[in-house]
Amino acid sequence: MTPAGQFAIRFLPYLAFCVAILLVPQFIDDAFLLNKYARYLVFAILAVALCLSWGYAGILNLGQATTFGIGSYCMAMSLKLGTVPVHTGSEGLPDFMVWNNVTELPWFWAPFHSTTFAIIAGVLVPALFAALLGWFMFRGRVTGVYAAIITLATMVVVNLLIIDQQRYTGGFNGITDLAQFEAAGFTFDAYSASTYYLVAGCLCLTLFVSYAITRSKTGLILQAIRDQEDRVRFFGYDVALYKVFVFAVSAGIAGVAGMLYTIVMEFASPTFLGVPLSLSVVIWVAVGGRQSLLGAVFGALIVTGTQGALSESETFLESWTLIMGALFVLVVLFLPKGLAGACELLVQRFRSAAADGKASEPRTPVATQPESAS
Amino acid sequence: MTNSQNLLELENATVAFGGFLAVSGLDFCVTKGELRCLIGPNGAGKTTALDLICGKTPISSGMIRFEGRPIDHLKEYQISRIGIGRKFQVPSVFRELTVRENLRIGNSRDPGVFGNLWRFGGKTEEPERLAELVGLQDELETAAAHLSHGQTQWLEIALILAQDPALILMDEPTAGMTGQETRKTADLFNRLRGQHTLMVVEHDMGFVRDIAETISVMHQGKLLAEGTLEEISADEAVREAYLGSGGIGHA
Repeated sequence: MTPAGQFAIRFLPYLAFCVAILLVPQFIDDAFLLNKYARYLVFAILAVALCLSWGYAGILNLGQATTFGIGSYCMAMSLKLGTVPVHTGSEGLPDFMVWNNVTELPWFWAPFHSTTFAIIAGVLVPALFAALLGWFMFRGRVTGVYAAIITLATMVVVNLLIIDQQRYTGGFNGITDLAQFEAAGFTFDAYSASTYYLVAGCLCLTLFVSYAITRSKTGLILQAIRDQEDRVRFFGYDVALYKVFVFAVSAGIAGVAGMLYTIVMEFASPTFLGVPLSLSVVIWVAVGGRQSLLGAVFGALIVTGTQGALSESETFLESWTLIMGALFVLVVLFLPKGLAGACELLVQRFRSAAADGKASEPRTPVATQPESAS
Repeated sequence: MTNSQNLLELENATVAFGGFLAVSGLDFCVTKGELRCLIGPNGAGKTTALDLICGKTPISSGMIRFEGRPIDHLKEYQISRIGIGRKFQVPSVFRELTVRENLRIGNSRDPGVFGNLWRFGGKTEEPERLAELVGLQDELETAAAHLSHGQTQWLEIALILAQDPALILMDEPTAGMTGQETRKTADLFNRLRGQHTLMVVEHDMGFVRDIAETISVMHQGKLLAEGTLEEISADEAVREAYLGSGGIGHA
């Protein structure tokens, strides 16, 4: 097979998936359903973020929700200021600041009057935060379970900080009563096809950028780092720099997901930076297959979709968490590479069966034949 | 003692693990283009000496110079970038990646994160040429995990050739190979002679006989003797060091 042919076969599922999610609003007219599906697609973006760092570079980030939450607060701050003067007290202050006797808008809130600033901050602040954390971890050669613990602990610290600084963050209640997101004069109603398209478009873009990264030589080196970090150093690659890079890109993507989540849910809350969400992301990616971007996306959609369906049905109201737990255990035990690994295996079986069927020259074993000789 | 002919110089190099001196006061020079064998009984400090040069183990005291520049303060990746490649005793390749992908990683002329973001596919001739050199031309799309032990050793040698360093450090390249594989490896090394400077740690004296020009013998962290195979075999101190392990031929 020619390299171009190989590329087409690898890329086709991504293209098909993107077309499929963009077509959904053509068939569904229910605003509530569209909002729910948009929420699932946001989770899929978050899964892609973890897939990059965990699946490709071997960095198990148990605090992926940290950067997700930071992104979501960036957007919420901007949308809160957009409500002036409907939900604000004197001098255009957000309502919760008035209740907390804050008399003047804090300096770090002021730039969020600009939506553009908020969007840039929603990507850059999480990315820089992760780069700084990654710099300390990876320069110090902290790996494996220790890196996972540090990311988890960092998330708990950031979460406590947000709850503690109620005057500036809304504390436990988060930031609520937000304006609708407006860009280029267009208003995105959370319960409409427009917001769904926004999220689906961002997911497609995220998939393409992530796909390009994983197919580049940098992506290859990241996989080598996952395989054998120590060996990579002796080829002259600065392993720490590569890990900081992928950690920051992953955080930036999580930041985008966080911003979209605020737009879809119309609030931001400290639970967005919670342990339950963070561990859920790990489950989605493990179920879908951590070494496949599309696998991670399907993992997120299937798990959150099933979760939603089960928790809404009367029969499983009590037992749905149990069912989700069992599903996770089964996948980890029997499909170590997740659903994507299972699909790959099926395709291979199918191909070799097809090849056996029409093998006219039995002397060339199909499996070991170099695929791109030209 | 700096000599322009010397590619690598170790001066009074010492490594202490706790109280134990794995390498103590090692003085050692390798000239450009030579193929040097480093032998010695078990625990003589041969592997530690290679670890020192490539930065895996920090030096406790002394000096290492490469092309006249001190390198003992550099990080592993920096040492690799100035032209020192290392093959490990336990073959270390990327098992989940194919032979072709392994070879692409070996070629590290541009090691930057951002430059490599724009590099897809790349030239196909070089991996194919290198794979042919080590007899892996039919395995280019095979995952490295599925190679035999000997093939894995060869793949790692090919990775280092892809890296193309001025000085190659080889730690027991023929360990675990069959006699035939060892002979093929000796042929390969003889072909590399002159293009690269090689420093080979080896236990297999037959292999050393096939490739060596100059042999250095280490014992208890020190350089014991240096010379041709005949000179080394005749050396009284070397015989003494190998006493009890059946003589130099069986070390």
